[in-house]
Amino acid sequence: MESSSMDNHESLRFFGKVSASVSHEIKNVFAVINESAGLLGDLSLMAEKGMPMDPERMKKVATSIQGQVQRGDCIIKNMNKLAHSTDEAALEVDLTQVVELAVALSTRMADMKQMRLSVGECAPAKVVVSPFKLIQLLHGATSLALDKMSSQATLAFSVAEGDDKATIILSVPGQGINLTCDEALEALAADMDATACSNKLDGTLELSFKRTV
Amino acid sequence: MAEKVLLIDDEMEFLDTLSERMRLRGMNVNTAENAEAAVSAIDDSDYDAIVLDLQMPDMNGIEMLKVIRQSHPDMQVILLTGQATLEAGIEAMKLGAMDFMEKPANIDTLTDKIKKAQAKKMVIVEKKTEGKVKEILGSKGW
Repeated sequence: MESSSMDNHESLRFFGKVSASVSHEIKNVFAVINESAGLLGDLSLMAEKGMPMDPERMKKVATSIQGQVQRGDCIIKNMNKLAHSTDEAALEVDLTQVVELAVALSTRMADMKQMRLSVGECAPAKVVVSPFKLIQLLHGATSLALDKMSSQATLAFSVAEGDDKATIILSVPGQGINLTCDEALEALAADMDATACSNKLDGTLELSFKRTV
Repeated sequence: MAEKVLLIDDEMEFLDTLSERMRLRGMNVNTAENAEAAVSAIDDSDYDAIVLDLQMPDMNGIEMLKVIRQSHPDMQVILLTGQATLEAGIEAMKLGAMDFMEKPANIDTLTDKIKKAQAKKMVIVEKKTEGKVKEILGSKGW
């Protein structure tokens, strides 16, 4: 397969992975709403038969449904942002916002491995980049990092600013884990005129971009 | 006789609400939100049916199914999944799951399957008992 075809295939694979994860989460949201609505129906039937209704119980169920709707809305909004990240081949983006989106889209992947993602201190850095490829790069870096981590560990994201570059830093505080890079990640970064490398001094994984002046 | 059910899922709200609905229908329901709690519950008590989520963080449903079939082969397992692919369904049935349902599940359909699980388990237990009785009678030459 030619290089550009492989890149397209990898992009599709990434999009497919995230879509599958989102659809699974939405199914879970529907499952909770289904049971909550069903429970309201059960309690109403019981009330018709003369059993007293507990208003606090009803409120709890209603709150649960509203909470799940908000959860579902958030999931769909993030998916929509990912979908629209393909609108432009290159755009000036706020790195922090993209990191937050990538973390939101990767949270289920971390949850399934019983790990956590957190966004720490982020400098207000802007870079010109393909938003979609940046999210794909972050997702790939996250996946690599999670493979190295042990259960219950937290992967932290931060954004640092230098004179001419902005860097997204992935780290696992307090675990003594050295995050590594692989060829695929390096190639993806290079395709965006960025670099991906592991910092052997502090065990972090750094994704560096030229800053917008 | 009230069906005794273990519900295993990592979504707490789903677990709480579905278990409440099942209790309203007269079932005796315990819950477990992870594999460790599930294994402990299964070792502590005898269930007519285990309703198990296919995708859980610490151990996926297929792995859990294998553990249950090995340690408690008479227990009937119904798998619940957000994505009921044909391949996953076939694998589950080959590994001995009694049934396979997609979320969100219809409670009446689930209740029917649980009743069938109880009936199936009773037949298995009766056959085993019959076998043991015949063995004892045979050993005594009766």
